[in-house]
Amino acid sequence: MAAPLLELDGISKSYPGVKALDGVSLRLGRGEVLGLIGENGAGKSTLMRVLGGVVRPDAGRIGLGGRDRAHLTVAEAQAEGVAFVHQELSMFDNLDAAANVLIGRESLQAGPLRLVDRRACRARVAPLLQRLGADFGPDAPVSRLSIAQRQLVEIARALSVDARIIILDEPTSSLTLSETDRLLAIVASLRNAGTGVIYITHRLGEVVACADRVLCLRDGQVAGELPREGIEHAAMTRLMIGRDLQALYSPPAAAPGDGGLQVQELVTSAFPDRSASLHARPGEILGLAGLVGSGRTSLARAMFGIEPAVGGTILLDGKPVQIGSARDAIARGLYLVPEDRKLSGLVLDMSIAQNVTLPALAGHSRMGLINPASEMRAGEAQRAALRIKAPHASVHAVTLSGGNQQKVVLGRWLSLKPRAIVFDEPTRGVDVGAKGEIYALMRGLADRGVAVLMISSDMEEVIGVSDRVAVMHEGRVAGILGREDLSEASVLRLAIGAQA
Amino acid sequence: MNRRQFNANLAGAGLAAAALAAGVRPASAQQKKLLAFVVNVSADFWTIARRGIEKANKEHPEYEMQMIIPAQASAADQRRILDELIARQAAGIAISAINPASSTDALNRAASQAVLFTTDSDAPASNRLVYIGTDNVDAGRVAGAQMKKALPKGGKAMLFVGTMDADNARERVQGIREALQGGNIEIIDVRTDDSDFARAKRNAEDTLSRYADLGLMVGLWAYNTPQIYQAVKQAGREKTVQVVGFDEDALTLRGVADGTVHSTVVQQPFEFGYQSMKGMVRYLGGDKAWIPANKQIIVPTRVIDSANVAEFQGFMKQILRPS
Amino acid sequence: MGKKELGLLVLVLVIGAITTALNPRFLSAVNLLNMANLIGLFGVFSIGQGLVIITGGIDLAVGSIFALLGVVFIDLLANHDVAWPLALLFVLVGGLLIGALHGLLVTRAKLQPFVVTLCGLLIYRGAARYYTGDATIGFGYAEGLESLTWLASGRSFGVPNPFLILVVVSAVMAVVLHRSVFGRYLFAVGRNEEAARYSGIRTGLVVAGAYIVSGGLAGLSTVLLVFYTNSVSPSAFGSFYELYAIAAAVLGGCSLRGGEGSILGIVLGTVLLQILQNLVNILGIPSSLNFAVMGGVILLGALADQELARRAKVGVVARA
Repeated sequence: MAAPLLELDGISKSYPGVKALDGVSLRLGRGEVLGLIGENGAGKSTLMRVLGGVVRPDAGRIGLGGRDRAHLTVAEAQAEGVAFVHQELSMFDNLDAAANVLIGRESLQAGPLRLVDRRACRARVAPLLQRLGADFGPDAPVSRLSIAQRQLVEIARALSVDARIIILDEPTSSLTLSETDRLLAIVASLRNAGTGVIYITHRLGEVVACADRVLCLRDGQVAGELPREGIEHAAMTRLMIGRDLQALYSPPAAAPGDGGLQVQELVTSAFPDRSASLHARPGEILGLAGLVGSGRTSLARAMFGIEPAVGGTILLDGKPVQIGSARDAIARGLYLVPEDRKLSGLVLDMSIAQNVTLPALAGHSRMGLINPASEMRAGEAQRAALRIKAPHASVHAVTLSGGNQQKVVLGRWLSLKPRAIVFDEPTRGVDVGAKGEIYALMRGLADRGVAVLMISSDMEEVIGVSDRVAVMHEGRVAGILGREDLSEASVLRLAIGAQA
Repeated sequence: MNRRQFNANLAGAGLAAAALAAGVRPASAQQKKLLAFVVNVSADFWTIARRGIEKANKEHPEYEMQMIIPAQASAADQRRILDELIARQAAGIAISAINPASSTDALNRAASQAVLFTTDSDAPASNRLVYIGTDNVDAGRVAGAQMKKALPKGGKAMLFVGTMDADNARERVQGIREALQGGNIEIIDVRTDDSDFARAKRNAEDTLSRYADLGLMVGLWAYNTPQIYQAVKQAGREKTVQVVGFDEDALTLRGVADGTVHSTVVQQPFEFGYQSMKGMVRYLGGDKAWIPANKQIIVPTRVIDSANVAEFQGFMKQILRPS
Repeated sequence: MGKKELGLLVLVLVIGAITTALNPRFLSAVNLLNMANLIGLFGVFSIGQGLVIITGGIDLAVGSIFALLGVVFIDLLANHDVAWPLALLFVLVGGLLIGALHGLLVTRAKLQPFVVTLCGLLIYRGAARYYTGDATIGFGYAEGLESLTWLASGRSFGVPNPFLILVVVSAVMAVVLHRSVFGRYLFAVGRNEEAARYSGIRTGLVVAGAYIVSGGLAGLSTVLLVFYTNSVSPSAFGSFYELYAIAAAVLGGCSLRGGEGSILGIVLGTVLLQILQNLVNILGIPSSLNFAVMGGVILLGALADQELARRAKVGVVARA
């Protein structure tokens, strides 16, 4: 192998209270695919932000394009041919594919107006798309493209700037299996053309399929490196986890009771021709696993009345209930801690107290007028009980950290009388310390006799916290695993639709 | 449903459709010829003109006579109306031009397609055939004379109008200034309100509070005088502030009757409407001899004061009664 | 009183002081009472506009509603001899119904508030003009209106009744907006409709409620305005008044993005706008500059506000 394209040496980065990166070194050669794995929070994203010039490291050396630097700017990273294909695609879906590929670098017509020369733009983009085997042309409006097709547009964008290093961050999280295969073929062709690829994923199978070398991060450090011949599941899992998943688990105080939250043959608008059934019993935590887009969130939204179910029955404590709106669900003690707390959970520029009482203002008001003292008492009670890190319940939610914001969302339901709570990705964007507190709160709720349904994409969480796990695949429940059958492999097998 | 009834219904439906078509496209061959009277802004003043038009239409039912009021009191809106009238192949158009100097092209375009008269506000630079209306400079002079009568010892006067870009506003002011030349009445300013009644009243109120020594307020447009009248009454300044107005709003006349308004100079919009329509009919019939060499037919103004207000109020009541 | 309101109050006082220095008659009782009257007239419907803006919407139809309800109101009283309490009721209910219609179109048909009320602006204006055949309509020789005239344009204890009505309306609306459950929901829906829905709030009802209140206040304002001018020209009556209301609300701290604003701010915004119009006359500035003065001061206010907000932010960061 010739001189490496990229050499990171001893990169460290600390945030207050957290060491995000601790002496990480990484090397990438021409025509090499480096698999970068690690749990959520292991430091993968921070490392890539360093490479993109967004984060400035505290220490270390970046060797790129034959020069050593202490840090990069965004412009330098781009000039050196570093291109990202993001997890959450950032596209202008009101423009066509060619415009997205060439945004900021459009071909212009001659003449004083310097208008965009659409024909020339398309001519530049067409061969790129062809090379990627795209089944759409440069004039296709992005709004009509699937996630996989949009990804091709992003890769074409990387190719159009002659990127020498392309970083794919969780590229397949929303793709079907056949789309994934196509993407892997494209990665192979990029490698053959001499591009260096850093492939970040949770899906170890893909790493086996495409990586030349694997680097695993854990808690901000390099946990280990595997050469091509050493890339296999068991070795990677060992590197990633480094400890026993079972350690998180705390068993329920009592055997689960009857009743709880039950859905029978529930049909959601996301999968109108499929139905799902599951049963979260009072006193247990039922995990709900599955790939992104497998219908878990649609199920939660249907149960909570945000997008009412198209068909099927929801039972609470054995009795069928009609849920046509969130209001109906809340009135019956069925609550949701939504996936995106900033968008759906909180009104960020209201105080902790105001957020806590929002669904239950009737209990803090008389003749339509709010009693501020009563409201503040409720807020203070939850702030103390959940140990929300804020001096007072009058503090605005926007100033809180992710974990504390999540506690505020939780606090609003704890101040009521929950019978069943659905948690959708309860610890996404939450720091490790707060994660443990939230798990303990969930267990506490279950032990109080509440039925807890936890939707999660974090395998460690699913396996570590749940008493049982239901796994969804394309709109239906593919199987339910008891504690004794729980393993990453068994969950993943159901999630990708393989027979159990 | 029996057959005969069915046929009757069918005929009815056909009739309705024909009526609808007539309403939408009045320019078909067997249609009555359209004579349009385009005004500047909606006002009682034009309601009186409408009576004149109605009278003319009764005498000449073979024409369709219409009054058209622009959505906005703007030259642009009038231009749009003119273009539409040309498209509808109107035979004759009488218009109170809002900004004649800048509308010459549009007016000439209309004049090339139809018989074009101006009324109320003239456009002498255009190819209009004749102007039928008030000589506003002269009306201003008449008002100036009234101002002198109201304020024989002289003093401060404030003028109120919608906008000064209307020729009739400028001409009236010019006439007033001519009449006051060398006298001891000082015109402080002309306040404008863009035809917003509330602003007209506010202007009057603010003027009253700003000038303790104000002697006279003059409303140049029909709605100005009633707003002045109300402001003066509410400020309790009837004794010290004289009011001279234009036109014949009910409140203006009430003011004349109760002595708050010294007098008002009224035009004869009934004659504008009636004579414009009659004139267009005659012209279309080939009779052009009645048009004078200076192409102006001046309808004289009248002064309404305490002496003749009761009689005039009676006339107005009768003419404005919903027909 | 929040920082925004305080800043606005300072601006009002400074402009008032400058005007007084240039012409002391600005502070004469007559002028102040005239202004109080106009503040009352324009404040009532600006509060309705403010509520709608807090939900993240906008009500462009206000001025046309005045024209339509105004011509019908006068027609009922002057030409149909309807008893005034009935005519008053008709106009108030009419305003509420128009507001409800807007609310329905925004929340049920999911049309954008700008589109709904823009169409309202055009439709009601046209309807008003058609109703009178484009004629200006006045009370003419109608009788028996003394008590209503007094209510809408008279004075109590020397203070113009429209101003007293504004005081009552703003007191009630301040309680509704800042102390009631409905008010809390308005802010929640305006700032984050999704989160409000996830909290079990009937967001459609809340938004529609704001339009209904705005419509009702527009109905009330119609009566006050009609008795201010005593006649209604359907093509000009209330034209552009929605912009006065929007300007007052925005000056008063309502964000067009929704979720922000206060009654006190809106009232102070109205006060400022009326002072600006008054000073044009009091200082003898040419009438033609009226709008330019208003626009200029609003722009300066917005710039100053932005600058203060930026400095406050920098201060926070520096402390952190």
